[in-house]
Amino acid sequence: MSNSHDAMWEKLNLDLEAHQGLLEVLGKFYGDIYMSQQGRLRGMEYLDFVLSEVHGLRIKELQDAKAAGKKVVGTFCVFVPEEIVLAAGGIQVGLCAGAEIGTGEAEKVLPRNTCALIKSFVGFKLARLCPFIESCDLIVGETTCDGKKKAYEIFSDYSPVYVMEIPQMKNACDRELWKSEVLRFKSQVEEVTGNKITADALKDAIHLVNERRRVLQRLNRLRAAVPTPISGRDVLLINQISFYDDPVRFTSKIGELCDELQDRVKSGDGIVPDGTVRLMLSGCPMAVPNWKMPFIIESSGAVVVGEESCIGTRNTRDLVDEDSMSLDGMIDAIVDRYMRIDCACFTPNTERLDNIVKMALDLGVKGVIHYGLSFCQPYLMEAYKVEKALAGAGIPMLAIETDYSMEDVEQLKTRVEAFVEMTR
Amino acid sequence: MLDISELQDNDKKVAGIYCLFAPVEIVRAAGAIPVSLCGKREQPIADAERTLPPNLCPLIKSSYGYAVTDSCPFFSASDFLIGETTCDGKKKMYEFLGRIKPLHLMHLPYSASEPHALKFWHEEILRLGGFVEESTGLEINRDHLGFQIRIHNKIRKLIRKISRFQAAEKPPISGLDMMSVMETKSFFVNPEEYISLLLEFIAEMEPIAASGFSPFQQDAPRVLLTGCPVAKGCEKTLRMIEECGGAVVCMENCTGVKGLDLLVDENEEDPFLALARRYLQIPCSCITPNDGRLALLDQLIDEYRIDAVVDHTWQCCHTYNIESRIVGDFVEKIHGLPFIHVETDYSNSDVEQLRTRIEAFLEMARWNSSACAQMRKPYTQA
Amino acid sequence: MQSQPEDETVAGIDIGSRSIELVVLNPDGLLRSAKAPTTFDPLGQCQRLMEGIDGSRIIATGYGRKLFAESFRQVNVSTITEIQAYSLGARFLYPEAKMVLDIGGQDTKVISLSETGKVLKFEMNDRCAAGTGKFLEFMATALQIPLESFGEFALRSDRRIQISSMCTVFAESEATSLMARGERPENIAMGLHLAIVQRTFAMLRRVGLATPLVFAGGVAQNPCVIKLLEEQLGQPLKVPENPDMVGALGAALYGENYRTVDV
Repeated sequence: MSNSHDAMWEKLNLDLEAHQGLLEVLGKFYGDIYMSQQGRLRGMEYLDFVLSEVHGLRIKELQDAKAAGKKVVGTFCVFVPEEIVLAAGGIQVGLCAGAEIGTGEAEKVLPRNTCALIKSFVGFKLARLCPFIESCDLIVGETTCDGKKKAYEIFSDYSPVYVMEIPQMKNACDRELWKSEVLRFKSQVEEVTGNKITADALKDAIHLVNERRRVLQRLNRLRAAVPTPISGRDVLLINQISFYDDPVRFTSKIGELCDELQDRVKSGDGIVPDGTVRLMLSGCPMAVPNWKMPFIIESSGAVVVGEESCIGTRNTRDLVDEDSMSLDGMIDAIVDRYMRIDCACFTPNTERLDNIVKMALDLGVKGVIHYGLSFCQPYLMEAYKVEKALAGAGIPMLAIETDYSMEDVEQLKTRVEAFVEMTR
Repeated sequence: MLDISELQDNDKKVAGIYCLFAPVEIVRAAGAIPVSLCGKREQPIADAERTLPPNLCPLIKSSYGYAVTDSCPFFSASDFLIGETTCDGKKKMYEFLGRIKPLHLMHLPYSASEPHALKFWHEEILRLGGFVEESTGLEINRDHLGFQIRIHNKIRKLIRKISRFQAAEKPPISGLDMMSVMETKSFFVNPEEYISLLLEFIAEMEPIAASGFSPFQQDAPRVLLTGCPVAKGCEKTLRMIEECGGAVVCMENCTGVKGLDLLVDENEEDPFLALARRYLQIPCSCITPNDGRLALLDQLIDEYRIDAVVDHTWQCCHTYNIESRIVGDFVEKIHGLPFIHVETDYSNSDVEQLRTRIEAFLEMARWNSSACAQMRKPYTQA
Repeated sequence: MQSQPEDETVAGIDIGSRSIELVVLNPDGLLRSAKAPTTFDPLGQCQRLMEGIDGSRIIATGYGRKLFAESFRQVNVSTITEIQAYSLGARFLYPEAKMVLDIGGQDTKVISLSETGKVLKFEMNDRCAAGTGKFLEFMATALQIPLESFGEFALRSDRRIQISSMCTVFAESEATSLMARGERPENIAMGLHLAIVQRTFAMLRRVGLATPLVFAGGVAQNPCVIKLLEEQLGQPLKVPENPDMVGALGAALYGENYRTVDV
């Protein structure tokens, strides 16, 4: 990445030297994991470019937008309704982080036994390595898991955090609670942006985000074709970038990529040899640049053809109903759609089990790998039930518990290979 | 402590509860007896680990282990269970527990200070009322609920009064003994009889306290034990502190004084709302932000003339573990007192390491206390 | 089937962190079996073990299988994981086996098998020395007992004591303090064996205890571990004559099946 962005990064109070180091390491990883692939779609060049400029040109775009009066809202969870932010003329970016960065800093304020994702975003902030965090006008947290909930209290010593209460259950009273929180969020966003949300603006925003979901749904349908036309790694990257990139441009570019993919499917071109075991990933999300698990899986004789987590179908499966014309009706539609998210923070969350089994059967996968971040209690505890549910449908599951470090790569490879052998 | 036969010989239903957030007044007003089922021993944990991941709070594993092996007479005696969406571990454990006995889950709003929270929790209390009524077949009579509210307020005040004996310059009983006394508040069948017992105890204690007797050395550092609950069976840390010469004069946790100062408004027209208001203020770390805890610690540090604070948390308790930093900063920076965070489990594998830390910490506390002696309120010499 | 004799031999090689085992099969049965310590030159050791078996198919398993496959390119080599290898080997020796336990030098594996011998579920402990052969090796050194007789030594205990430390390093400190307090070393040894068996049992339960249970790997030569496991299990274990060869056997069998399928 060019150093022409140094001035911008300096203004954002980044630790320039450490940041340069980070970019170099990122570049190398990307080369090893992504560029080494054979037969990639031409459309992936866009993603390569976005990733290479994720701290560069994209940040510049955000800074230019801010100079023109737009506000940037940073979030850590797919629960935060992007439609509200867009309708108020804002830009929403995901701040979840996927690298072991600033761990030393983070561990001064957080216990070591905290999930890697949380330590990562706190670490990025404290080590001054994330231009996205520094570009935010509003940072939104939520009461999802214990770790995040309390981490926001610590984080707010450094940057104020607006916390949304996410319901823990899905009864009627919980829906009402969620609706009141969505409305409270709406007021907060209107205050920060200085724009009142109109019915027209919200309608457009809903449509925009739905279109992005639709293109990712299309991608999911195409990638499931046999022979597999695109690697799990590439689809993961696309999903990860959907949290950072401009929604209009992203949707358009991925649409083009899907067209290319469609041709490939038609001509029966696969990117893996025949007989490669098709697997599905389930569980905790993988934030950029966490590519460890799909890389291990795809180096062990298998290919990932679906993800159930927040960087997969949990995020893209459901659309917001576009029928209503009134502001209140649209808010209701948003409330309803977001209540369908089946995160393990919810209890009893039985719909997640059904969703996973259905997805695995639809994809016709040979097995499911459940990915749990160490210390993530909700997902680790649900893994037991997910395994039973899949066993009931005759689908084997491998439960992996890991973090962002590279220490256990060999052990994970052995397990994944053994699982692949098992499923053949 | 409660004799299991008292529960069994009763014709009343028994409600197993796991948390201070469970409104016991509602349970009793519907004619059931609440009994605490929190697991305190290591023994059932191995069985719990067949279903629950090993990296989980020992209290949760122990509680579940008792249930799944049916080795706790109180669990066996329970007709139904009440749980709450407090921490992730409990929340997900209840999903498994609910398969063993009927379990009603209350949805606790985490942002307790936000306007929506009270209304929401009020409805949850009403919903609980409905569930308990159905389980017992008895309707909650408003007058009876009012009576339970008054009597439980009285109980809280009495126990708080008992805890204050330890605020004296010469605490008359050990922290370990006080812990046993405090534990009884989760295990009584008849509130009026319990009140008589408490009054008797106070009457016995008063002369002892007046005599100036204390099981502690003159220079024993006065320790506030905060964090996760401790009880007989998992009292390792408390015992260690006192074995090493400290005096645990106050416990700011669910076993101790947490919530005892929070009384239900007896004049509020809607008793359910009054209950909601009171229970929502309980300063548990699952609440965000948990300002109530710092306020309570502030008050207790002064009241008990604390020399040092030990924050004891169970392994894998994310909420108390992360909050420890906030508490530590408060204790060290605002009160200038030594602070240590101890994270452990129910096993005895770290007893020696714990001893070393606590001994060193108490040495620090002694030094600090004598160094700060001038700055403190003069003791009235006995 | 009508090809030269060399083509009919299949070799399985299990390259572990402490030892390398080799099993060579031909249609008549076992042709050769051999074992060597891994040392710092595993490839050299493999070379020595494999003298005289060029041209046949080799299946490599274990920790060093990838290294082997990359280095011995001139030969016909494939790799399988130890999970697969141990399940094939155990099932061959005990056709009714429902579960395989392998406590090796540096890791422990538990595998549950279906009716048809397929791997149903597995769990590995390869991140922590406690619960592996390493633990016993470490403790035998601490008590100055040769590893090969550590099990028998422990069986001479007259009471059972509980070692509370979870960690190998701390367990050693605990053992030392017990010695200092005058506890009989045989009893300490028994306590240490109990600790490893308790950890193993937790793993077995998580995967779903089932019998017959085949106990393989280096530690299956320890009579004290066998006795304690059988006590907990309530029935005898199936312990092969050469428990540390099961992986290599399984790898060789895999090669055989593969070859037959080809034809």
